[in-house]
Order: sequence, then structure tokens, then C-alpha cells
Amino acid sequence: MEEEQQQPLAERLDLFSCIQCGKCTGGCPVSIKSPLNIRRVVRESSVRDELSGFMSRIELWDCTTCSTCAIRCPRGLRPVDVVIGLREMMIEEGRIDKTIIDALDGAYKYGNPWGRAKNKRAEWAQDLDIPNALEMDPGQVLYFVCCAASYDPRVQEIARSLVKVLRAAAVPFGILGNKETCCGSEIRRMGEAGLFEMLMEENMKNFSKVDPRVIVTTSPHCMNALKNEYEGLTTDVLHYSQFVWELLSAEKLDLKTPVPMKVTYHDPCFLGKQNGVFDEPRWIIGKIPGIEFTEFGRCRENSLCCEGGGGRMWTEGTGAGERLSEVRVKDAVDMGAEAIITACPFCLLTLEDAVKTTGNEEKIRIIDLMELLAMTLEGDAETGDVS
Amino acid sequence: MDIIVCIKRVPETAEADIVLDAGKKGIDTDGMVFSINEWDNYAVEAAIQLKEAQGGKITVVSAGPEENNEVLRRALAMGADDAIRLTDPAFEGSDAIAMARILAAAIKDIPHDLILTGVQADDDGFGGTGVALAEMLGLPYAALVTDIQLDGDTLTVHRELEGGLEEVTAVKMPALLTIQTGINEPRYVSIMGIRKVAKKEIAEKSAGDLSLSGDDIGVKGSLSQIEGLFFPPVGEGAEIIEGTMDEKAETLVKILKERGGIA
Repeated sequence: MEEEQQQPLAERLDLFSCIQCGKCTGGCPVSIKSPLNIRRVVRESSVRDELSGFMSRIELWDCTTCSTCAIRCPRGLRPVDVVIGLREMMIEEGRIDKTIIDALDGAYKYGNPWGRAKNKRAEWAQDLDIPNALEMDPGQVLYFVCCAASYDPRVQEIARSLVKVLRAAAVPFGILGNKETCCGSEIRRMGEAGLFEMLMEENMKNFSKVDPRVIVTTSPHCMNALKNEYEGLTTDVLHYSQFVWELLSAEKLDLKTPVPMKVTYHDPCFLGKQNGVFDEPRWIIGKIPGIEFTEFGRCRENSLCCEGGGGRMWTEGTGAGERLSEVRVKDAVDMGAEAIITACPFCLLTLEDAVKTTGNEEKIRIIDLMELLAMTLEGDAETGDVS
Repeated sequence: MDIIVCIKRVPETAEADIVLDAGKKGIDTDGMVFSINEWDNYAVEAAIQLKEAQGGKITVVSAGPEENNEVLRRALAMGADDAIRLTDPAFEGSDAIAMARILAAAIKDIPHDLILTGVQADDDGFGGTGVALAEMLGLPYAALVTDIQLDGDTLTVHRELEGGLEEVTAVKMPALLTIQTGINEPRYVSIMGIRKVAKKEIAEKSAGDLSLSGDDIGVKGSLSQIEGLFFPPVGEGAEIIEGTMDEKAETLVKILKERGGIA
């Protein structure tokens, strides 16, 4: 059984062409704190006769699937996919952490990894009067909200801000409401390939009914899944930062109110490293009147992962020591930034936690790019109210 | 070692808004999510762990309509060998006693060393089916089991008692145990795993197949009947704190201090 699985993994991912140069481990953000050594994992999974020994390696759950290893690999291999492949085997064995089981069960039963009620998915939009995409004419903008922005009170603010921005630009759009289901990005990365397929099929059915001209997502994780992993989806998929960049370029938004603040920008891995969207968010920040921008030392391709991806929202990881999000917040405080701007729900949550755990609430705040933009749309910036 | 596990399909109520049905004798399950009864999931896992250690065969049994195949297939994907669904319109309205009669009629002809049920079901919460089934089959039993050790044909089991007490009892097989949650960590059942058993046949048995008469089952065969369901009336003494987050926190701290909750 194991042999059957091992061969395809090593062959499927072309692991025999690995030259063991170590660039993957060298760039891995969790290698500093976790026993996970990605170069060794690649080597072992290509030479071992059977992979059952991996089933007890809990450090495989430390990987955030940020994909730095894949970007740095000179042979064009994807070490991160070895981790996902091994997690798939753990899932088939059924021996995984209870918190991971709960997330997968939640996605299966309720269409979101938090296991919140399906009929409460669109509650965040109750007072916003957003059209049901399933009743719109074809060729419109579909806003794919997904789970974090639907259920997490903090992340709902991103969705509300985006709605404000889209309305200011007079862009008609709709949402799937309670018919929307999890994009499956994190589910796939936790190794539940079958459940990912199920969720993909359900969303694809709705996408073809809506037949939109473009799908705009809250999260870079959803954008990545829809754009790169949904088989047969031909519709354009954009993260909101890309879509709003288009709106701003076409001068559809009037950014009036100055936001006098010194900010830096944290690149979400799924937006930057994995999809090359580095410039659009920075360009948008630059358009905001009164803002002062300062760049992290580790930015763009070298950006430090916040540890929120790859299922890490549902499992703490084994590594002792500082969370990388805490490193990030301390760096920003040292730079004299008053706010870290980011563009991903998971980055927002992990960084905001880190502000609290490092006791920096008085010094810095975490603001989503859409919240920042909504502040410059008349009225909001005066109060500085982002809640 | 041949083990039979009785499982039930129940609606998940933790996140749901509960609404009574028109007859006010049940809840409106329209749009609700169903799954295996939590206690039964631990019972299936306990059976699989015994099988992994001892070898043998696991049969899962569930009474109900075709939808119950979901929970049966899930148990097959977890590691059970056979599944039987007991189904008949005449079973409807059965209480724990009538249900035990239905299960007993099906189980008596299947070879077994051990029968496992959950302590209770998430929906009705009777906690009676398992022990009634043991009585009808003339088997020794232990309820609220939190640990199982096997020694020959004797089971040494831990039972959870009131006040944090734990009782250790020896039970000679064949026997029945009702399994408490927390006895183990039920394994995850993947979608691929469920797909692999999608074609596996699930045997069906009706009241006629089990030689059960109308007097033994359904409402007629039940010792108890649900007269009506209602939500507990809203009592007094609850105080909803209004205001902004800061004001609420301040008021709450004040109340806790006043009433001795915090120093």
C-alpha cells in the first residue's frame, strides 16, 4: 500500500531530480523554529522504501505552504507539494489532530472550516442590500467572499470596506450569499484532496449559473485556489487588490480625505510569492493622500510568512519560540510604522494577535488595504474609525 | 472477535436554530445537517481498535430511512466490515425500548462476542437503548464505559460514575457496553475513504424480515410517548448589559465585584 503511494509521490513531483542544494530549507520561514527540514523531507520521501514513518511526524503540520521553497528551487521542483502529499497520506490513515479534524468536518458539513451554520453565511451583509449573484444577468462582477470574511467579525470589516469601495466606484456586483461554500484552498493544503474536489464542484456549479465576467475574492488564498487549482474555470479571477488597482487606474475612485499615517506593507505569501502581485497593493497605498510609506527589510519575494496559511489557522504547530507574526510586528514598530497594511484575512488575524501578544497595542495597528482605502473615501478618515 | 456496533443518524443542533414541527412533537429538521451520533462514533472507533488488536469482524447496524446509509458508509470507511440497515415505516415513533426490540431481533441471528452502542443519542437523549438491548438479548452489560481492556473472554472496563468516581468492572463476553465520549480519539474519515466504500452493499431488513409484529414496534410497542415539545419558558434574573464594548466590560466588572465574583 505504502509502496504504491510512495512511487507516485516521488515520481509525480519529480523528486529524483532534486540536487539537495538546500535552498528550500534556507528560505523556509519555519525552519528557524521547527524541526521541519524540507530538504530532508524531499530526500527521505524519494529514497525510502515506504513512507509510513512519516505518519507520526507532526512537524509536517508546521509548514504554512507559503511556497518559498518552490520559488527558490533551482530545479523548479515544488517541495511544498511533498508536505501536502504526505499530509494526504495522514488524512487517509485518519490519524490527524482533533483541531484539523474539526476544521475538515466543518467544511464538509457546513461549507466552512469553523463549522458555523450555513444559513448564517451572509449575515454580515444583511444590512448592505447586496444583489444575489444567482439572480443577476451574466457578465457581471461576482464577489467571492469566502469563509473568514463571512464569519469572522474582524475579517467582515474587509468585506464591508470592499463593498464601500465598489459602491464608490459604481461597480455593480453580486454575492452568492448562503449558496457560497468554502473555496477549499486550506482544505487541500491540509491534505483533504477529496473534500477540496467536492467544494470545488459545488462552487463551479454556481459559477456557471452566474456566468460572471470576473470573480473578485477577499482572500489571496481563494484567488489562488480559484485561479490556479479550479479545473475548467475560465472566468478571470482577481484578488480585490488587483481589481481595485484597475478601478483606480481608470480613475473611478476619488481619494479625497488624507490619511496622515506612517505605514508599511506586509506581503501575503499567496498574493505576492505565489501570484506575483507585489506592485498593485503598493501602488494603491501610494495613491492615498497624506500617507507615508516605509518598506520592510524583508519584503516582496523575501517577505516573512505570518504562519497563517496551509491549515495553520487550525493547528498551532510544534515550533517553540517567537511567532513569525510577532517578529513582523516588532520589526514594524522598530521602523516607526504606525500601521501594517496587509491584504489577506489570515495575515490580518495573525498580525493583529501578534500586536496584542507583544504588547504593542498603543504603538501600532493592523489595517487591511480595503479598510485603508475606505478611510480615504469621504468622512471616514476624520474619525480614523476602521471598525 | 465479532463485534456489532449500533449507530444512529442525528441532526446536529449546536449551531442550528431549533424550530418545532407543525405537530409540536418533534423539531423541524428541514435544512439541518445530519451526522453520526457523537457517542456512536466513539463506539465505532472502540470496535476498530479492538479489531486491530484482536482481529475479527465488525458489523454496524442502524435503523432508519435510506439517508442512514450515510452514517453506515462512514463506519465502513472507518474500518467496519459489514453494514445492515433496519427499515420499515412501522418502526417510526419507536422509543428506546421499541428500538431495542428492533435491534435485538436483527442482532440475535448475527454471531457476536461484543455489542457496542453509544451511551445515549444526541437527539432524544434517552440513554436507554443500549441497556434495554442487553436485557432483551440476555447479555451482561456495562454502561458509561471509558476504558476497555481485554483478557481472554473477560473485559475489564472502566465506568464513569457520578462525582468523578470511576468504577472498574469485569464483564464476561458475550456482553454489551455503552460507550462514553472521550474513551478514544475517533479517526478522521476522508472523502476518498467514503468513495472507496460507495459501492459496498448495505443489507436491508424490514419488520417482516425480523418477524416483528406491529404491537412490538412503533408507538404501540413503546413504553413512552412524546406528548409535546416546548422551549423552556424565559425566566427572570437575566440581565442584558447594553452599551459599547468598553461600557459593557466596565458594567460587567462592576457587577462581578458587587456580587463577590471577583475581588
